[in-house]
Amino acid sequence: MSLHRIRLLMWKEFLQLRRDPLLIRLLFLMPILQLILFGYVVAADVKNLPTAVVDLDRTSTSRALDASFGASDYFVVTQRPAETELQRLMDTGQISIAIVIPEGTQAALDRGETAPIGVIVDGSDSQVASVGSGYASQIIARFNADRMAAQGVSVAAPGIDARVRVMFNPTLASVNTMIPGLVAAIVMISIMAVMGQAVVKERERGTLEQMFVTPIKPVEYLIGKVTPYAIAAVVQLLVVALVGIFWFGVPFAGQISVVVVGLVLFMLTSIGLGLLISLVSHTRQQAQQLMMLLLLPSFVLSGFIFPIDSMPAAIQPLSWFIPLTWAIQILRGAFIKGSGFEALSTQFWVLALFAVVIFGAAIVATRRRLTE
Amino acid sequence: MSSLSRIGAVVAKEFIHLVRDRRTLAVVLAMPVLQMLLFAYAISFDVKNVSTVIIDTDHTPASQAYVRSYQSSDFFTVVGTAGDLSAVDRVFDHNQARIAVVVPSGFGRTLADGGQATVAVYLDGSEPTAARVGQAFSTALNQVYGQRVTIEWADTQGLDVTGFGQLEPRVRTWYNPEKRSSDFLIPGLMVVIIMVVALQQTAVSLVREREQGTDEQLAISPMRRWEMMVGKVTPWTLLAFLDLAVITVVGIVFFHLPLRGSTLVLALGAALFVFCSLGLGLVISAVAPSLESANMLGLLLSMLPAFILSGFAFPLASIPVALQVVSCLFPARFMVTIARGVFLKGAGFGELWPELAALGGYAVIALGIAVVLYGRRRR
Amino acid sequence: MSATSAPAIEAAGLSRRFGDVQAVDGVDLSIAKGAVFGLLGPDGAGKSTLIRMLATVLNPDAGEAVVQGFSVTRQPGKVTPLIGYMSQKFSLYPDLTVAENIDFFAKLRGVPKDVRHTRMHQLLQGMGLDEFVDRQAGRLSGGMKQKLFLASTLMHSPDVLLLDEPTTGVDPVSRREFWRILAGLHRQGTTVLVATPYMDEAERCTDVAFIDSGRIRHRGSPEQIKALVPGRLFEVRAADPRAALAALHTLAATHALRGLLAVHLYGDIVRVLIETDDAGSITSALEAAGIGADVQPSAVDMETAFAFLAELATTP
Repeated sequence: MSLHRIRLLMWKEFLQLRRDPLLIRLLFLMPILQLILFGYVVAADVKNLPTAVVDLDRTSTSRALDASFGASDYFVVTQRPAETELQRLMDTGQISIAIVIPEGTQAALDRGETAPIGVIVDGSDSQVASVGSGYASQIIARFNADRMAAQGVSVAAPGIDARVRVMFNPTLASVNTMIPGLVAAIVMISIMAVMGQAVVKERERGTLEQMFVTPIKPVEYLIGKVTPYAIAAVVQLLVVALVGIFWFGVPFAGQISVVVVGLVLFMLTSIGLGLLISLVSHTRQQAQQLMMLLLLPSFVLSGFIFPIDSMPAAIQPLSWFIPLTWAIQILRGAFIKGSGFEALSTQFWVLALFAVVIFGAAIVATRRRLTE
Repeated sequence: MSSLSRIGAVVAKEFIHLVRDRRTLAVVLAMPVLQMLLFAYAISFDVKNVSTVIIDTDHTPASQAYVRSYQSSDFFTVVGTAGDLSAVDRVFDHNQARIAVVVPSGFGRTLADGGQATVAVYLDGSEPTAARVGQAFSTALNQVYGQRVTIEWADTQGLDVTGFGQLEPRVRTWYNPEKRSSDFLIPGLMVVIIMVVALQQTAVSLVREREQGTDEQLAISPMRRWEMMVGKVTPWTLLAFLDLAVITVVGIVFFHLPLRGSTLVLALGAALFVFCSLGLGLVISAVAPSLESANMLGLLLSMLPAFILSGFAFPLASIPVALQVVSCLFPARFMVTIARGVFLKGAGFGELWPELAALGGYAVIALGIAVVLYGRRRR
Repeated sequence: MSATSAPAIEAAGLSRRFGDVQAVDGVDLSIAKGAVFGLLGPDGAGKSTLIRMLATVLNPDAGEAVVQGFSVTRQPGKVTPLIGYMSQKFSLYPDLTVAENIDFFAKLRGVPKDVRHTRMHQLLQGMGLDEFVDRQAGRLSGGMKQKLFLASTLMHSPDVLLLDEPTTGVDPVSRREFWRILAGLHRQGTTVLVATPYMDEAERCTDVAFIDSGRIRHRGSPEQIKALVPGRLFEVRAADPRAALAALHTLAATHALRGLLAVHLYGDIVRVLIETDDAGSITSALEAAGIGADVQPSAVDMETAFAFLAELATTP
């Protein structure tokens, strides 16, 4: 293996890259863009839901309830309309939640009865529907407890004192799971996108044939071609990780070695996939299509955005065949839970298997193609 | 008249290219349907059956009754039990369960003595969606159980419990009573799929002419730039529209997506939306210096904004205003509103005309920008 | 081709640079109507750039050009319907058939439907491409591609043809056919500007110009160009051409042979440009150097003219 030849190849790739300024700018812009999108949008936790309160009771109790909704972060009381207007307001999307306090609520409470409170949620937005209704219920529950305490009713009776604690991500900020996932995703997108094109372009141009007649060996060709892009991917993921940690405040509780090994294995799978795409496609157009075919399911089914737990049981096994799934688990584990090699052993073994199989297949295929 | 015949010539040519490229054709026709089928089944934010581990260190009838309330709940799926507290770390580390309930020893004794028995519920925060809903559900479960204990005790004591009036939330869900997130996600999914397919195609279209050298021959013909762009966009508009129709049918038949609103508005919106996506692709095509950057830019501008900034899965009301403004730069945002409005809310022209107008304006602007930028690049 | 009719193409001070390379440097040109004008020059001389400026595909940095009476910079829309342009790179759609390609560009050019059909078959038949109408352009051989390209540019019957190295990489038979077609066009009165590296093609032009480093060095009819070359051309055939060449160099250096202007090895033949009419002096000079050779007079051709004039430009 000649280091000299490898260096030559890398230099050539670098020169070609330099001639395409848009591509370079994109390579560096992408992580920033994704950080903004994922950090601020995907990870945005539900709050400031536009809410309407219809107070048909008009007592001190109902006004206090109204105020407790207004005081909450999750709701922004924008309207206090008549009940008949609710349909229109929700149809046009002006409100997501409506609280209806019926007439006679305070009176019922004073009589010791259960008084129903209407909570209407916009079901066309499932986040709002599930989370919003949950928060509303919690506010009402707290209102009950406060009211009981204020009335001097001591709970001198047996009951359950449940201490509910969230471990690893106490604020339940979605950002903390998004960013580690993004670190892995960006490696995949970046490498596959560029690798997929790289070899095909040479084939289209005919420069690949030129290379056959030189003393270059397939392995050298691979290393030379891949390294610049691998370096670019590393830079991108460092940007994402550092911005995530220092700007978005994502915790890093684990060991760097875990992350490094995980990412190296994952990179090998991405490189391998990119190469295989490249070899199978005759034109860059086809390479692009194939890459999209692989990329979109990876995005959707790997648990990156949509939780695997939420998938139908029959479909969950599909996610096991996507390398990104395992990489995300390793990264999330390392960042949030401080997991080490032992805890993540399954993930590492699976990822290693993927790396060997995919990368190995790519090498064999490349060698065969280059010696054809 | 000759304008039309020139546009016709370009349309015919683009169709020939399409038909001769079998792979692309297959991808463009089949991919959206396949993706629709796969993703619509898979994607969901619904949290059900959260894996739970119970650690009962009390082993009294009282604690077992408490544990049973979890087992009989729809929400918690008890996957195992363990003996002591140290198991919690292990369970979470190895992703064996998302919730761990720890019943301390002395639970039954405390209750019998009339005290407040503590129970610890640990949630794995690394899955925030599950954790959040798990929080609400476990709080609710414990509240209900606690109340029942109190009332049973009060009964045996002969106390009057009616003095404790409580507010009780009655939740009604409009438009989507079963609260299936699929109804919420699928209209948006259709938009995402189409945008990705559509934009990619035109993004490379002009770059390819340049690389083949045919752009020079086109330049010295009487054809105007806008004629060429309209001609290039038309075949794909028809194709993408066909795609959209097919996956709409798939959505309705396989996923029981309701169609409550005006089909006409949906069709009009779809046609405009496709035209817009293609126009955006042409803008990319006009400025990208190479096929690689065209592809990458296409990827960037189609997948990410469509996925994330269109309101498809992530509500736009919760994000910083600056980004909400940015989301208006992508046609997907308007189409998602139209799709969801028509399918779920029974909306028609009266509610959705602003979005339709936005799409129409976008189409004209995008095409105009493409024409200007393309002219600036040459020579 | 009367002297009083306006030239088909007129350029004055045309210039264009790319980065720090001055590709075309103040070119003046006048091409008469109906001429077959050859643009000759080495690679990188500026031929393509010049042609592209005339075709309105490239903007000049300075200068002006008028084609059929219309300015390429100010009235490109009036120029383009009158010209046909063949770039150096094959610029048709490889996945469209012969017929589809021609039809498409003809439609764009506004050629009426009935005319399209008949003219296409006429042209293709004349080029021997008729049986390949349904073959995809990418699957044609080099020669056929170029003929197809030409046919496509002829569909709208342009007055002026701008051809950038149309026969490069084409087999000799196809090249000859191509020029046969051009001759036919010439007879019909079409003006043809063709850039070519082939000197034998230059012979067939009515006018030629040499371009080098962006500047026109010589122009005129082939005869006029050849007349620029002084002296007489002799061809020396010897058993060992290299030895003969070396000997001639020595003879010139020692002034044993006078009036020697240039000596070149052309394959196996040594070409000698000398200021004498007498072949014998060369023969005897070589014999004196111990080399037996057969010396024959030869007519100056474009190849020699080009080589000699280029050499003249470089020697002080």
